[in-house]
Amino acid sequence: MNKKLLILFLLLALPALAAPDKQWVLQECTLAYHVSHTLHQVDGVSHAAKGKGVCHEGQCDFLIAVPVKSFDSGDSNRDLHMLQVVRGGEFPMVVVRTRLPEMAPGSATLHADLDIQFAGQTVHYKQVAFQETAQGNTVRITGTIPATVSDFKIDPPSLLAIPIKNEIPVHVDMTWRQQ
Amino acid sequence: MNRTAVKFVLGSAILALTFQATLELCAQAPAATLSGTVTGPLGVAVAHATVSVKNLATGQSTDTRTDSAGTYKVTNLAPGDYEVSVSAEGFNTQTTKARLVAGANQTTNVALSTVSSNTGEPTLKDLGFSPNQIQGNAQEQARLNKRSHMLKVHQELGLITAVPLFVSVFTGPGAKGHHGLPGSPSGRELHAALGAATTGLYFTSAYFAIRAPKIHGTEVHGPIRVHKALAWIHGPGMILTPILGAIAYSQESRGERVHGIAKAHGAVAVVTAAAYGAAILSVSVKF
Repeated sequence: MNKKLLILFLLLALPALAAPDKQWVLQECTLAYHVSHTLHQVDGVSHAAKGKGVCHEGQCDFLIAVPVKSFDSGDSNRDLHMLQVVRGGEFPMVVVRTRLPEMAPGSATLHADLDIQFAGQTVHYKQVAFQETAQGNTVRITGTIPATVSDFKIDPPSLLAIPIKNEIPVHVDMTWRQQ
Repeated sequence: MNRTAVKFVLGSAILALTFQATLELCAQAPAATLSGTVTGPLGVAVAHATVSVKNLATGQSTDTRTDSAGTYKVTNLAPGDYEVSVSAEGFNTQTTKARLVAGANQTTNVALSTVSSNTGEPTLKDLGFSPNQIQGNAQEQARLNKRSHMLKVHQELGLITAVPLFVSVFTGPGAKGHHGLPGSPSGRELHAALGAATTGLYFTSAYFAIRAPKIHGTEVHGPIRVHKALAWIHGPGMILTPILGAIAYSQESRGERVHGIAKAHGAVAVVTAAAYGAAILSVSVKF
């Protein structure tokens, strides 16, 4: 009888133990890259990112992905040229992975190691600083990823034979909701 | 056995052997080649993946590995049905079928999915992106490359065209003459030559813009709309201007004053040049 009870308990308890502690879903997201050229500045914005975070044993694995072609700089011709330069046909997604300790509410700044897959390359960015604002069961995270054209082995596009600057910082504004 | 009989037997044997060899050669169909690219969930090439090609009729397998670009190639395969199995560390093994015909060089691309980790790490599938959004497309990239290349030629030729265009506008008064007097023959010749160069360069440049591949699912917006709209002014203008110019040229060559529709040549040329200049300016801030 005791054995049966024990087996029953294990059957009921094991799935609960194996289940993740917490999950996060990306509710809203704005990603904006900034390109500098001697003659002018360009910002390409996307609101099409999707993301999910799964927490287990105090660690959360986050995945954020956005289609390359969803970035809009206000000129479809430039966007298509950008898509070609970053090989968006072959590599249509930008994927960001990070692992963080479970979010402690109230902490203002978090530092994350990011793995970014883009243009056929995976680049690791160490200790990128983000500002964190918790509100109810949502957390807003803002920050800037210090990306460069050379990190991803992209040939810098040029206007009138002047190439763009190497730095293409990506501003991030995300709102995560806890499930 | 006499010599004739020996010759007959030998001849028959040689003929029989030749016939048999010919039959065997005819029966041996030319070998086929199977090649392709192995990619991961993001369309990234998977290097060092093991590709196993198994002939379903004989059960014979040929193994190879993908190179750094994720490509593989298996040659000298007999025609028939094959099972292509691809495995790589961190990916689920993928199996697909291929039918090879004699002498064919068949391409079979294989997309691998990643193995989910035990910790329930989220995957792209979890995010709800469709396979079409996630999967890379080499043809799409080739279209983008061709488009960019053709538009670059269009841009360069377009800028070169601006030089004879604006010079011909400025040489117009010299060709036309003043106060009812015809212009000098040399002025007319120079103006006509510049006009002809402009027309030739313009339509060559236009060809590259018109023939550049269109990318489906792209909504045209921004300054490029203005650039395209202005083509509806300078395009017809570039057809009309040389026609009117040729009429004016022949009238002046006969010692007549320019009359009739040819009188509009100058005005049409100025409007065309203005629209052309505006078209260049509308996109000159792009990179």
